Order: sequence, then C-alpha cells, then structure tokens
Amino acid sequence: MPARLSKPAASAGVAVCLLLAAGSAYAHSAAPGAGDFYAGALHALTALEHVLPFLALGILAGQQGRKAEPVLLVFCLALAAGATVALWTPPLPYIGLLNIVSAILFGGLVAAAWSLPMAFCYGIAAVFGLSHGFANGAGMIEQTKPYLYIPGVALAGLAVTAYGLIVTDYLLRRKAYWIHIAVRVAGSWIAAMGILVLASSGSAILKA
Amino acid sequence: MNTRTAARPNRSSLSKFALACLLWPALALAHVGQGDISGGFLAGVAHPVLGPDHVVAMVAVGMWGAQLGAPAIWVLPVTFPIVMAFGGALGGLGVPIPGIEIGIALSAIVLGGMIAIARRPPLWTAAIVVGVFAIFHGHAHGAELPESANAISYSVGFVAATGSLHALGILIGVANRWSAGAKVLRAVGGLIAACGFYFLTGHLIAG
Repeated sequence: MPARLSKPAASAGVAVCLLLAAGSAYAHSAAPGAGDFYAGALHALTALEHVLPFLALGILAGQQGRKAEPVLLVFCLALAAGATVALWTPPLPYIGLLNIVSAILFGGLVAAAWSLPMAFCYGIAAVFGLSHGFANGAGMIEQTKPYLYIPGVALAGLAVTAYGLIVTDYLLRRKAYWIHIAVRVAGSWIAAMGILVLASSGSAILKA
Repeated sequence: MNTRTAARPNRSSLSKFALACLLWPALALAHVGQGDISGGFLAGVAHPVLGPDHVVAMVAVGMWGAQLGAPAIWVLPVTFPIVMAFGGALGGLGVPIPGIEIGIALSAIVLGGMIAIARRPPLWTAAIVVGVFAIFHGHAHGAELPESANAISYSVGFVAATGSLHALGILIGVANRWSAGAKVLRAVGGLIAACGFYFLTGHLIAG
C-alpha cells in the first residue's frame, strides 16, 4: 500500500503546485503589455539592497504599532515620486550608498526598539522612499512604459513593507518576551549586513 | 488505521528525506563562484562556520550570555552583530589591526575561561570584553569581503551564520538551569579555553 502523505507534506505539495501554477500564469498575462508592471516590481524585489531595507522599515512600523500604518503609504508614494524623478534626471552614481544607509538606519532603529515620534518616521520614509524609488526608476530603458513600471516599483515596496508590518504586529501581540528580542535581533542583523555592504562599496570606491 | 500509526514516518519516507538531504548540498554548491545570490550567500555562511577558532568563540559568546542570564542573554544577540559588522567594515576597508589571529585565539581562552569559573562580572565589563573580541572576529571575516562575488549576499550569509552560532551557544547554555547541566556547561567552557590555548600555540609556533 503506498504511504499516505502526512498533512504537512500534503500542504507543502499543494504550496509547490500553486507556486508552479503562478509561474505558468505569469507567462500568459491576461493584460498584454502589463509586463512592464512586473519589470518594475521585480526590479525592486530581486535586489537584496532594496528588499532588506523595505523589510526593516515594515518591521520598524510594526514595532511602533498600528498608528504607524500611514508610514507605509508615505513610503510607497515617495517610491513612485523618486522613480518619476529618475525619468528626467541623469543617473546618480552614489544613490546606492544612500539605500544601504537606509538598511543600517532602519535596522538599527528596530534593534534599539525606541518609541519614535511619527513625524520622524514619516520623514525617513519620505527621504529613503525617494532614494530607493530613484534607484529603481533608473532601471527604466527607452521602451519601458513608466505608467506601468513606476506603479510596479511602488506596489512592490508597499507589499514588502506591509508584510513586515503585519508579521511584526502579529508576533508582538504574542505574550512571550523573547519575541520582542527576536524582532530586535532581526533589525540588528539587517543593520550589520548594511554596515558590511557599505564597507565593501566604500573600499570599491576608494580603489577606483 | 489509527492516527498514531499514520503520523509515524515510515522507512520509505525516511529514506526519501535522506536522499533529499544528500542531493541538496550538491544542488546548492553547483552555483558557488558564479556571482549569483547563492554563491555569495554560501561563501558568507561558510567563512564563519568552517573556521574552528571562530566556531568555538561564537558558541562561547552565546553560552556565556546564557550563563550570565538576563539582561546579558538579550543584550548580546542584539548588539553583537552590529559591533562585529563594525570590525568587518574595518577589515573590508583594509584598516590593519595587528595580531588578529592571536586575538581570536585569546577570545576562546577568555570566554571559555569565564564560563569555566562561572563568575558574574558587571554587564558593562562583559559587554566590553565581548565587544573587543567581536571586532577581531569581524575584521577577520571582513578582510575577505571585497573579494566575494556578491557583497550583499555574502553579508547576509555571514551575519546569519554567526547569529546561528550564538543561538546554538544560548541553547547549550539553557543547561545552566539544572545543577548537573551547570557543571557540564563549566566543563565545556574549560574545553573551549583549552581549544583557545591550542590555537594560540599554533599561531605562536607558526608566526
């Protein structure tokens, strides 16, 4: 008699099938020309130098509590604005450094676990939203449709930060004390990664 | 068929799992050095995990934190990665620190020795001791950072591996709750210090 799949194994199998199905659906996009939307989203989502700070900002907002939800909207709009600016501005060579600094700042603030004034949160979301948006916007080429690409970047940012906020908010509602520490450790790891990457970029610039 | 027998893994599923485990590293390693995400990541994981002098010191950091108890057990995993990354940044920028390997061997001796004598120094003393050694360890890893194919995935792997070694030390340190476990913990601390002496004599003879 063939072994019957256990419940976790069965659900893992279903999850894999769903992931594969999503892949095939992608290739047959119902709306022709929507590809540039995904180009924008993937430009942000496939680069750790964007995903890590996005996640850190989401965790930071989750740590501040539900009142910080509008911070994500500010960030999303700033991403769109930054990507739009990139349409008319020549590429800035060191914008990537600013994005790495955002990983150190957001991660460090999560590690510190201070209660921050909301105005400060809006400020950092706006400034670094612009820098991340600009770096992503610079990825557009002549044929890219900006009205699809830019929403792709902005919504990818919103999705990642919202994921960070929702998971953190859910975890911090649990009573166990160690969860607070685990969230701070996550921030500390992201800040540490940022410091190392900044040093690596710095040494590359010094050598150039 | 009752639920208990259904939940138990049978031999065929176990062997499939074993086969998957065997195949997994082969799949992952096939991409090392191609400059893709997994290449940098695995190099970053491998660097702290494959050096026994780093491994014993990082596990000792977690064990000592667990032995000291709150708040050290919480302060440590939050601050250590950032301080170590600072040391890594110095290494990556090529700022020389003399006697890195000696410092790393000393860190195993001091941390292992502190666990063995089971004293509780004030938190700031423990923080300074661990912080100084964190910079030495970070510097040794960071010096190889510019050569890595993908700096960001190397950093992700390196920080995650070091953090996991601390977590392992903290888990071992949980044994401190039981009187027999506390004795075993002190003995392991002594063993780590002995490893430190071994590394130190190796460096002194070689250097």
